[in-house]
Amino acid sequence: MERKKIDVKAIKKDVKEKVSVGEEDFPFDISPMYEGERIRKGEMYVELGGPKQPGFELVVALPIDQVEDMKVTLLGSDLDELEEGQAHPYAMIYYVAGSQIDMDLEPVIERRNHDFQNFIEGYMHLNQRYDIWVRIGKNAIDKGLRSLTQIAKATMMLFKNEMPFIEKIEALYITDGEIVEKLLKEYAMPIYEERDARIEALHDEDVDEFYSCTLCQSFAPTNVCIISPDRPSLCGAITWFDGRAAARVDPEGPNRAVPKGELIDPIGGEYTGVNEFAKEESGGEYTRIKLHSFFEYPHTSCGCFEVIGFYMPEVDGIGWVHRGYAEPAPNGLTFSTMAGQTGGGKQIVGFLGVGIGYFRSKKFIQADGGWYRVVWMPKELKQRVEKFIPDDMRDKIATEDEAKTIEELKEFLKRVNHPVVTGVVRPVDGKKITEGWVEERRVEEKVVEKAEVEEAPQVPTPSVSISPMPGIRLVIKNANIYIDKIVLRRKKEGEKS
Amino acid sequence: MAVLLVYFLSRKYRVLAVDADPDSNLADALGIEGYKTLGEIRELFQHSRDDFGTMSKESWLKGKIYGEVIFEADDFDVLIMGRPEGEGCYCFTNNMLRAILRKLMRHYDVVVVDCEAGLEHISRKTIDSADVILVVTDASRKGFKTASRIRELAKELGLKAKMYLIANKVREGEENVITRYAKSEGFRLLDILPYDEEVAKADLKGLPIPLDCRVAKKVEKLAGVLICEANP
Repeated sequence: MERKKIDVKAIKKDVKEKVSVGEEDFPFDISPMYEGERIRKGEMYVELGGPKQPGFELVVALPIDQVEDMKVTLLGSDLDELEEGQAHPYAMIYYVAGSQIDMDLEPVIERRNHDFQNFIEGYMHLNQRYDIWVRIGKNAIDKGLRSLTQIAKATMMLFKNEMPFIEKIEALYITDGEIVEKLLKEYAMPIYEERDARIEALHDEDVDEFYSCTLCQSFAPTNVCIISPDRPSLCGAITWFDGRAAARVDPEGPNRAVPKGELIDPIGGEYTGVNEFAKEESGGEYTRIKLHSFFEYPHTSCGCFEVIGFYMPEVDGIGWVHRGYAEPAPNGLTFSTMAGQTGGGKQIVGFLGVGIGYFRSKKFIQADGGWYRVVWMPKELKQRVEKFIPDDMRDKIATEDEAKTIEELKEFLKRVNHPVVTGVVRPVDGKKITEGWVEERRVEEKVVEKAEVEEAPQVPTPSVSISPMPGIRLVIKNANIYIDKIVLRRKKEGEKS
Repeated sequence: MAVLLVYFLSRKYRVLAVDADPDSNLADALGIEGYKTLGEIRELFQHSRDDFGTMSKESWLKGKIYGEVIFEADDFDVLIMGRPEGEGCYCFTNNMLRAILRKLMRHYDVVVVDCEAGLEHISRKTIDSADVILVVTDASRKGFKTASRIRELAKELGLKAKMYLIANKVREGEENVITRYAKSEGFRLLDILPYDEEVAKADLKGLPIPLDCRVAKKVEKLAGVLICEANP
């Protein structure tokens, strides 16, 4: 959507207009010390926006020749004309320009209006977008605050100081109710909606950098959370956009930019930049991470994940269980048991911690078949993510109502003809990645001679080549196995083992 | 006790009363309703945070706290903590909450935190920036035992707060037991508040405590003493 400056002359009617350009001295203090100040009803001079009156704030990126630096226009009554003790409509629009500024940076800049305005003594700013709620204290008026243009200039000055990539900034403040409502509906809302839609539609390939999160490294020292547009943090708290906003404000903080580097595996989601970062942050423990793979170099799991995925070799499918489900999953294990094994920042094949937001992702474990490999999840979780499940899979994923054990699950999957029964074709490239169940496979007497494995084996990508053996799971770590001969013999009727 | 302190302190100072007891006694005693608890907002946040798009989560959380959780009484503000966290990871949420509350609290002259009876808040260091900790007990063996354990724990954790003992609901003739206990433990006994029929009645009927009763008069004096103790 193209960004345009509001044509003040066209909407002005008979509303008062006040214009001021350039720097000035302020009669009030500006300091981070005032952050958090709460102006009580009895102490306020006026309320702007809030629950009783319309209001909004908006940052709009414009070409540099359209922005007049440090200019403020106020449409409507100024502080001295607003009735004391009452609530009034309020809009704050900022036009920003700079060589690094584009539309995608608008919301990052817009968030800071809240921070900067709270640096102003006697001025309380709450919420964001169309929910803004401002109170100006009597103490500010006593100190000599006379005009909202002073507030606008102080805010613009802070924007330029704290975000030096803003080369030019201009403000339009409005207290006229009719204009505020009209612009909110016709100008601001479409921009807010477009921003959210863009974020929803943004994919890993559309951006140059991902973000890390090390907030929980105190619990999981080798955990490296990589947050990409298609993969939110495991705890569910931080999206790519949050990471971006945080990294812009504090580049050395817990959310740092991770340049993607070269794309190694487009389906698994492996990037050289991510691998290098993982190696560095995990102290060399992990050198490869695939963002959208369950079995091959999966993302590490902290202790915070909202949901854990678990592979069930008996059905060659993946189940998911969330923290709130206390019963054992069909594999006989509870969330906490599995979380205990997986957590702590380890890369464990067969288990994967994720945030609930990851179920929305178009790349949701796409290397391993995505939704077409999912066989079970608790009802509560399934309902929460239902609209993201492909139509043809919705009825094929069992919940505790259909299956509590592997046997029940097998029955269910057979009945609904789940893709794992006949073989999963992963949608991303149309490749058939599992063979399906081989029914009643007879284990004939086999002699395998001189099978030799030199290196520590990768736990193989499980597919049906592993014969279904209920109740046995082997986890082999850092092992060198040399085998000269394996003899597998079927037990004869009546033979004692 | 905490209620009366809040009343008297708010005559002279900007006061934030924090109810850190999940049963929210302070809210009832102050006669306030129609508020949300911090716990409720925290749960709401945990469940809706996937839908924020490009909006700021911290700003949302702060707006809810300032707008819906903090209750504006005539002379003071009240913050009810409510239920403790549910299942899930609260690292991110609690990190933000701490930052928001820290910034909020520095704008008050006095913050009175009414804790649940017991060791929880001491052991979790939720009140480690307190200037003064008042340990309130009655004249019972159980009360003394808890008081002693709170004191030991605070020492172990290296809390810098000054710690005082206050005896409450003490009937005539029991004063000796209290003074003896305080002396043997080396506890500084700040005051002994008598059992007051009027307070008990008001409590039963759910009415505010009359500010002219015996206990109230004593707490009023205490409020003055505490302010001096906190600002030497």
